[in-house]
Amino acid sequence: MTTNSLAPIANLLQQHRVAICDEWLNDIMRIWEHSHAGLVDKEEVSRQANDFLKELAVFFNSHSGEAPAEISTNSPFGKIACELSIERAKKGFKPADTAQYIITLKNVLTRHFLRTYSETPVDLALYLRVMNDMLDRISLLTFEMYVETRERIIAQQSLSLSELSTPIILLWNNVLLLPLVGVIDTVRARQFTERLLEAITRYEANVTIIDVTGVPVFDTSVARHFMKVIDAAQLLGSRIVMTGISPEGAQTLTKLGINFSNIISRATLRSGLAEALLLVGRRIELIGGVRP
Amino acid sequence: MREMIDPERVLIRDSTDIVRARAVARQVANQIGFTLADQTRLATAVSELTRNIVQYAGEGVCEIADASGEEEIRLRIIVEDNGPGIDDIDRAMKDGYSTGGGLGVGLPGTRRLMDDFAIESSPGCTRVSIALVRRRV
Ligand SMILES: Nc1ncnc2c1ncn2[C@@H]1O[C@H](COP(=O)(O)OP(=O)(O)OP(=O)(O)O)[C@@H](O)[C@H]1O
Ligand SMILES: [Mg+2]
Repeated sequence: MTTNSLAPIANLLQQHRVAICDEWLNDIMRIWEHSHAGLVDKEEVSRQANDFLKELAVFFNSHSGEAPAEISTNSPFGKIACELSIERAKKGFKPADTAQYIITLKNVLTRHFLRTYSETPVDLALYLRVMNDMLDRISLLTFEMYVETRERIIAQQSLSLSELSTPIILLWNNVLLLPLVGVIDTVRARQFTERLLEAITRYEANVTIIDVTGVPVFDTSVARHFMKVIDAAQLLGSRIVMTGISPEGAQTLTKLGINFSNIISRATLRSGLAEALLLVGRRIELIGGVRP
Repeated sequence: MREMIDPERVLIRDSTDIVRARAVARQVANQIGFTLADQTRLATAVSELTRNIVQYAGEGVCEIADASGEEEIRLRIIVEDNGPGIDDIDRAMKDGYSTGGGLGVGLPGTRRLMDDFAIESSPGCTRVSIALVRRRV
């Protein structure tokens, strides 16, 4: 037997597990049933709480130092903690709710420690300190995981939004249309540039119409994004027809001192489309051969 | 007597604030009777100045005020920050000068777009004041 000063904690966790688990669940469910009615499955929470306590016992059993080591997200224990907070983040729990979970356990354990070790105050002090330390670290870990998960969810949502907002349409053989709507920021610009270049290659597009009717403001940063996409598209052999710049927008751009070189610009998408078709040797005609 | 609109202050920290400042500027310009063309050049000017804040100063403020008088309607905007300041204003006001890999037309372009333009800068304070002005008829 090694001299593990913390083994008694592990023993207590094992011997009192059922009681601890019950008390913990009661306390936490009382809080959550209020704030998250319908979101918590009691069975599920109970299983997790049991796993959690088992893992905690394993940890103290194998751990001989005074203060617990760093808890990595890879340790079996870290994994349980992560699973907890990730799942809750997805369900829309607040970070405080997960903290609440750990704090509740802390209270329950403190009660049990006080009862069990009241005769040996020196040991009691050590156990309380180590247990507190450990649960604080877990708290931090779950909090970190929670934030990370939320951020990933938000990033995913904004990614799918920006993908939705920039479709690239094959209008005709070798003619692409990129209708831009909304604020053009660096992230969106990079993303539609990449996708446009890919589409130009895939469809061997000779002409790309960029319609900017839905772009609210032209400024130097938007202009720079356009210049880049225009340059790259032209390198791949696609002409650019820009459509939908309003008279006010055109005035603003010239005053600002910006001119797009090497592109064809048309006021409306309609005339831009006619121009683009002409560039690939087509024309829209009335059936019967009369020109529209 | 005309109703004056209270000045609006928009805190500038990131690109969403740029969008907000633009929208407020446009709206106030519209309310006090500027045309769509005026609103458009104003939105671009506000965009340039506030983006300079985000890019070079980190944070600042954009204040939009109705400064109209008997003779004219005037929309005044002050864009201010406590960042590092502009080393050489004369150069910064020239087309094509940029320390941030931009086109370098933000400041000179804004001056061309606006009816009034003033800039002062020293380490710790940069302040650009612009205005749209239209004579009353
Ligand atoms: N608020 C500011 N604080 C500090 N430096 C500034 C600030 N605004 C502008 N500058 C300096 O002045 C230079 C010129 O600004 P300007 O807006 O004309 O061009 P830019 O921002 O570099 O490029 P862009 O054409 O994209 O606006 C900047 O490169 C920067 O060095
Ligand atoms: Mg600029």
